[in-house]
Amino acid sequence: MTDMPANLPKGSALPEVVIEYRDVRKQYGDFTALAGVNLEVRRGQVVCLIGPSGSGKSTLLRCTNGLETMTSGEVYFDGMPLSKDPRKTRLIRQRMGMVFQNFELFPHKTALGNIMMGPMTVLGLSEEKARARAEALLAKVGLSEKAGNYPANLSGGQQQRVAIARALAMEPEVMLFDEPTSALDPETIGEVLNVMKRLADDGMTMVVVTHEMTFARRVADHVVVFANGQIVEQGPPQQIFDAPETARTRDFLSHLGWDG
Amino acid sequence: MTFDWAIIWQSMGALWQGALVTIALTVLTMLLSVPLGIVVALLRESSLKPVSALATAYVELMRNVPIILVVYWAFYVLPILTGIGFSPFLTGVVALVLNNTAYNSETFRSGIRSIRKGQTEAGLALGMSEGQAFRKIVLPQAWRRVLPILATTWVTLFKDTSLVSVIAVGDLAHTALQIRSQSFRVIEMLTAMAAIYWLLGYPQAKIVDWIHRKYGVTE
Repeated sequence: MTDMPANLPKGSALPEVVIEYRDVRKQYGDFTALAGVNLEVRRGQVVCLIGPSGSGKSTLLRCTNGLETMTSGEVYFDGMPLSKDPRKTRLIRQRMGMVFQNFELFPHKTALGNIMMGPMTVLGLSEEKARARAEALLAKVGLSEKAGNYPANLSGGQQQRVAIARALAMEPEVMLFDEPTSALDPETIGEVLNVMKRLADDGMTMVVVTHEMTFARRVADHVVVFANGQIVEQGPPQQIFDAPETARTRDFLSHLGWDG
Repeated sequence: MTFDWAIIWQSMGALWQGALVTIALTVLTMLLSVPLGIVVALLRESSLKPVSALATAYVELMRNVPIILVVYWAFYVLPILTGIGFSPFLTGVVALVLNNTAYNSETFRSGIRSIRKGQTEAGLALGMSEGQAFRKIVLPQAWRRVLPILATTWVTLFKDTSLVSVIAVGDLAHTALQIRSQSFRVIEMLTAMAAIYWLLGYPQAKIVDWIHRKYGVTE
């Protein structure tokens, strides 16, 4: 199995590798969450991780920025191994935004305050500059009029858009999405996926754990199928959804009612 | 039996002084035991076993011995330990802070634990240090949740300050009991003492009720 995105013409220069997972393993007691994963994410790519619940895709995503520690293996970001040194880890995290399934907005801060928090606390931006940045990002996710709202007074979709803006406020090179629409009402899923689609169109490198197959098919450059802590198949969305090579992929897609 | 209520009016100045000392004891104790309570709560959550064990031992000791014992202990042992002679007031403050810090640490510990782990992770993912995530994200949320409990602790503390009267701190209880033993006007002075504690305590209790209504309901 090759890690090369097959949708690029042969012989053209591939963009550099931004994230590299090398034999990543994670063990919870007797349970093997990750059984040796190798994967590369290249700059500008949208990589979607799909597969059944408990297959290890979220665990891998959380290993990317060190929220989860690996039992063995390495994750490299821009050539640097994720280290045990908390300072180096913090520097890497600043360059990777993360969006959570349950939004995890800070309930004691307004939408604007949530977005200003990272730049002010971590980057030491002045309140004025952080505010300007936050306002621009709120406009980008279409929520300028909700700047003063607390998370409790926002819908799920609005909260997740603010959470995306909060992550973008650090001006990251990579965005990690951990099932960003799984906790949403069906009618608000679209607004979040639209924001993500636009981000992808702007060239953001994205790793997305998702159950939204339509999104994966339309937006992903590379789709990775997980089962039992392993990658069972990966390739361009056309291959995965239209001509899956492994029985495990076909099985997973048919359970979702995916008919190509 | 005849009563002589005039003794109360004659003693008003002294009683007022005593009430001020009681208020000062309460305020000072709380000002010290709230931040110290946070520190002890964090020490108990420390991954270093000896540190958390020591903090746990302290809390369990203070929660299970009577305050009056701590007051006596501070009075007799503190000068030996430190070689400094503390004033009765300061000795009283030390004893009350020792006791209250233990209770406040338990309050903060439950408050801190009630904040989802995902909140800290959201801060860490932005590149914050553990300390920044605690100060900027966990503590402000925990603070709001524990405020009603702290308010209740405050009112209890206000009454418990009377225990330091045994080491002759000139608080309200000590002052009133002194006047009682000098004038033999027992019933009058005890009644006055009750009335003053009640008059000062009741508004505080009402404020606590208000805080419970405003902050007691979470999310």
